Amino acid sequence: MSTVKALILTGFGLNCDNETALAFEKAGAEAHRVHINTLVAGEEKLADYHILAFGGGFSWGDDHGAGVIQALKLKNNIGKDLLDFVAEGKLVIGICNGFQALVNLGLLPGLDNDYTARSVAITYNDCGNFRDQWVRLVPNPDSPCVFTKGLETVDYPVRHGEGKVVAAPEVVKTLVDNNQVVFRYADGEGKPAKGAFPANPNGAVEDIAGFCDPTGRVFGLMPHPEAYNHFTNHPDWPRAKEAAKRQGKVPGEDVVTGIRLFENGVNYIKETFF
Amino acid sequence: MISNIEIALNQDLRDAEGSALIKKADAYFGISIEAARCVHIVTIESDLDQDGLEKARAEIFTNPVTQVSSLSPLDIEFDWCIWIGFRPGVKDNAGATAAEAIKDVLGKTFTPDEGIYTSKRYCLKGADLTRTDVEKVAAEILSNHIIQQFRVFHKDEWDKKTGADVRPAKVVLNHEPCCNTVDIDTDETLARISDERNLALNPRDIPVIREYFLDEKVLADRKEVGLSKPTDVELEYISQARSDHCNHNTFNGIFRYTDVATGETVEEVSLFKTYIQKPTLELKEKKDWVVSVLWDNAGVGTFDDENNYVVTGETHNSPSNMEAYGGAITGIVGVYRDPMGTGLGSKLFMGSFGYCVGDVNYDGPLRPPLHPRRLLDGVIEGVKDGGNKSGVPTTFGQTLFDPGYMGKALVFVTALGIMPKTVAGKPSHEKTTSPGELIIMSGGRVGKDGIHGVTASSESFNENTPAGHVQIGDPYTQKKMHDFLLVCRDEGLITFITDNGGGGLSSSVGESAMLSNGCEVWLEKVPLKYEGLDMWEIWISESQERMTIAIKPENLDRFMALSDLHEVESTVIGQYTDSGKLHIKYNGETCAYVDMDLLDKGFPAWEFDAVWTPPATRGLTEPVISTPKDFNGILTGMLARPNICSKEWIIRQYDHEVQGGSVVKPLVGVNHNIPSDASVTRPVLTSEKGLAFSQSLLPWYSKIDAYHMMTCSIDEAVRRLIAVGGSFDHIGGLDNFCWPNIGFDPKTNPDGKFKAAQLVRACRALKDTCMAYGIPLLSGKDSMYVDGHLEGAYGERTKVSALETVQISATSVIDDVTKCVTLEPKISGDLVYVVGATGDELGASEYYEMFGKTGLNVPKVDFNGSKVVYKALEKAIDKELLASCHAVARGGIGVHLAVMSMAGGLGMDIDLEAVPVKAAGLPSEKILFSESAGRFILTVAPENKETFEKLCKGLACACIGTVTDTHDRLVITNGGQTITDLPVADLGTAFNKTFGEMI
Repeated sequence: MSTVKALILTGFGLNCDNETALAFEKAGAEAHRVHINTLVAGEEKLADYHILAFGGGFSWGDDHGAGVIQALKLKNNIGKDLLDFVAEGKLVIGICNGFQALVNLGLLPGLDNDYTARSVAITYNDCGNFRDQWVRLVPNPDSPCVFTKGLETVDYPVRHGEGKVVAAPEVVKTLVDNNQVVFRYADGEGKPAKGAFPANPNGAVEDIAGFCDPTGRVFGLMPHPEAYNHFTNHPDWPRAKEAAKRQGKVPGEDVVTGIRLFENGVNYIKETFF
Repeated sequence: MISNIEIALNQDLRDAEGSALIKKADAYFGISIEAARCVHIVTIESDLDQDGLEKARAEIFTNPVTQVSSLSPLDIEFDWCIWIGFRPGVKDNAGATAAEAIKDVLGKTFTPDEGIYTSKRYCLKGADLTRTDVEKVAAEILSNHIIQQFRVFHKDEWDKKTGADVRPAKVVLNHEPCCNTVDIDTDETLARISDERNLALNPRDIPVIREYFLDEKVLADRKEVGLSKPTDVELEYISQARSDHCNHNTFNGIFRYTDVATGETVEEVSLFKTYIQKPTLELKEKKDWVVSVLWDNAGVGTFDDENNYVVTGETHNSPSNMEAYGGAITGIVGVYRDPMGTGLGSKLFMGSFGYCVGDVNYDGPLRPPLHPRRLLDGVIEGVKDGGNKSGVPTTFGQTLFDPGYMGKALVFVTALGIMPKTVAGKPSHEKTTSPGELIIMSGGRVGKDGIHGVTASSESFNENTPAGHVQIGDPYTQKKMHDFLLVCRDEGLITFITDNGGGGLSSSVGESAMLSNGCEVWLEKVPLKYEGLDMWEIWISESQERMTIAIKPENLDRFMALSDLHEVESTVIGQYTDSGKLHIKYNGETCAYVDMDLLDKGFPAWEFDAVWTPPATRGLTEPVISTPKDFNGILTGMLARPNICSKEWIIRQYDHEVQGGSVVKPLVGVNHNIPSDASVTRPVLTSEKGLAFSQSLLPWYSKIDAYHMMTCSIDEAVRRLIAVGGSFDHIGGLDNFCWPNIGFDPKTNPDGKFKAAQLVRACRALKDTCMAYGIPLLSGKDSMYVDGHLEGAYGERTKVSALETVQISATSVIDDVTKCVTLEPKISGDLVYVVGATGDELGASEYYEMFGKTGLNVPKVDFNGSKVVYKALEKAIDKELLASCHAVARGGIGVHLAVMSMAGGLGMDIDLEAVPVKAAGLPSEKILFSESAGRFILTVAPENKETFEKLCKGLACACIGTVTDTHDRLVITNGGQTITDLPVADLGTAFNKTFGEMI
């Protein structure tokens, strides 16, 4: 087969499934939105897919910690399928609520090849509130993460009340030392925010906006690359467009949107599996 | 067995809830709390054994990285502890999801006697805290007695073993459901019973009701099903259907309008028919983009060849004034059901908010149920949870302050959906019910929620009385239902759908059965939250998150299979018929049997006297204020005023880009902190088309004349759309009226006749403007009693009425979103223009208000003049001639030049002498702060100067200066004299400081 198939979870209060599916389609994959209960019932099989996306939303209302019940539901019902999926070298991405689900499942950080341990938490923002803003992210060029290969500084929106990555100091150190830290919140110049609000919108340790497992194939991040699927999503696009026009350029032409991140994932599958 | 699990954050983590409490206690009451930690409590009443409970504690309720927890009270030190829990029957969303998790993890299903309840306790440290302080914090920050209860423990009163000893907040009614008949021997008897039972029957409806039930033919029909006298179910049905909420009696009433100045009296037969329905239907004929108006839950317009968009707006005022969070979340989640129930159902793609509240710093003697500050906090949070958890972006919103809203604050919520033009081969905007189709109720269960509004007083509560009259919306349950219904729609399973809002099943089933001409309902099938509801309660309960759906019997299995998959509860509760009867049964016994056309039986229209005294006759005059010397001070003072300044903190709490279609965000500019004129969203991500949306609220002009309040509000909403690139030929309107009581009473409402005249004038203005601009009203609602009787210092109560208020929302479709324009000047050297003439129109302006004056010269809209300007600017944006464009709004050119320089982060050199004026001789302050309608400030690249000026030939349009990066100041001169010269940074400081502490 030559089609990269991406499965995007839906149901139970998840809400970014349409744009996440669109992002994968734009990136060249065939995207399927699949209800969690369809997987649980075995009517759809993870094994038939290459990429599994845990998208944004408020699964189970996030009433008992963001992503907690979603993680429990999947662990209880298709836990082994998930571990097999990872073991086969396929890709898992968790965005926002999906990232929270991945750390609660233990698929992240996946230290010592243990994909069940909960050693990182994503908790309430230091600012004490839900917050929608665009953030600047600086990628770690030494990270094994397959989704961010070749990416330079990017801007994506964050929209969360619980986005602060915390863990025991030794876990944080391991993540940093292993280059598992993929994205850091940065200031306007692209330098790490050093915890300063609002560049770091939630107070995450080490400005961590996203990290991956040691293989780089399981990746979670708080910002939403799928919400930057068109150059007009960026808050500064009207100014960029006007500047481009004055220089005789076609507006939006050189813009790298969030789709690039999904393309990296799709291309990895093509290179590895086909 | 009852078990309590206590969960808290590890001590070394920042406790955001605790920190927020410390901040509020200090800011609101000057109460100093040294430390606060929040403990979450999950109370489980079940047969789970210790192992099960332990598993639940460890796996579900505790994060091993961040939390500690225990099946016995956590030993956290405190001086005082406050426990807060819900009253019985209040929707406990977290309790419900906890039960789902336990079912999945432990395989345990809860029986009706069992349940899960959540509550919290706060451990406070503070050497100086007194019991009075702590009770104040508990009652006025942490809880609302309407939905919650609290207990306060001093450290010496605390038993470490039993802790807060939380008991389940469950509803026990111990009531045998029944259906009673009602005596109707005389009008007086029925009036008395209506009073006793809170039926709120209009006295003039009573003879009509009696006549119907005493009719021989009716009696004979009823005898066949075992009925004679009307039942409570039947009277409740009539009461709901005839309520102002459902029947719009005010807008369909008769107004005798007298103009005191001319002495003329005119009779207005129905404001709705004359000023809303007729013009809209006329415009529908002319505008082929208008698809469906005036009958469904929302209006429908064309988006593109494949899709239609759906729009409606609501207010949720009274409940929000009692319990701000619950009222607002119920409001937003409720309005989101309207697009879901429009046509065969649409997918939500955006929402907006509008808040009108009293002075948040009010410290006078009046005591509203909730202080404006607390009310605003709660409302903001309610819409946050409701909107964000619905997965719908909140892309626009306004907040304004006026003392009149302390009587009753207003909470506007608006919803837009998108749906394919055809569903399973049929037009999606059409629907009907047919005999034989099944009536299905999907979503939430039914309790005593919302029955007869707020009738229960706090004194009557006991520990098991349901506090259901104030509700808490449940966006999670509704989001599941939303996703489920869209799948059903696309499979062609739905033949009719509507939401359950005001009036509950009585309205949704009652109205949908009109189409098939009859129904039979089996009330015992309706799933209940708890046992013991009477039939009439089941029938009119306003429990949330429910839709009523008609499906063909052959589709039932598929429908139910999808319902199971999505974990949405759906129940067949009856069948549509063509019997001509509304037939309600409970366990086979008939409890209602009335003719479907009963409501057409000649119920009398409501009547109002309306007396208009023109403003000058009322003694209004222009104030006498000389030209100020310190314009820098005036401008920064204006920017800091609550109705002008930044409310970024509210907007940022709302997810405004979920679904990935954001084009023009609610906040724009270099620092992303300036409110945009309108939002633009791509509801169809594969298309370059966008939906532009704007709103306007200008209630202050009603102080002079509600006619001009209305024309100016519509003009501003239109102007805002044009500013971002909207199309003048496609503007959809939405009118949300919020009016103080217009029923005259010499003692209780002596100015009722004037307020009634204001309503008539506003309606006339609505029609005049809509016809002049070609705006069909896609949807609209009214809320007619925005008054409050507030207790004062001496036990007296004073009536406080809101300004006559209308929120206008407007929609437009943009063909190519990449042509959209935002308001910030972008490039140094660009030319600054003002389009539209400025007149001596400062009546009820922000400027006059700063001096405590009203004035007389309210802005008046020049429809024909503005129309030409709007079309010219539409063309200019389409030709990409404008680098920026901004609609001049509250505060006039002065405030909006400042807004633009802040947004651009660039300097501006402006000469007021060049500003086009209606008449010569306007002093600087009037040019700067006049609120004349129809004006824009925009910037143009020098190379486009000629083309742009040619396009605007003959219009009031002039270049008034340039954008510059040679300095970073806003410099305004008039005839060579410097008026203001301020660093852009100082403007920003003034604009941001008023609510600068809020996040």
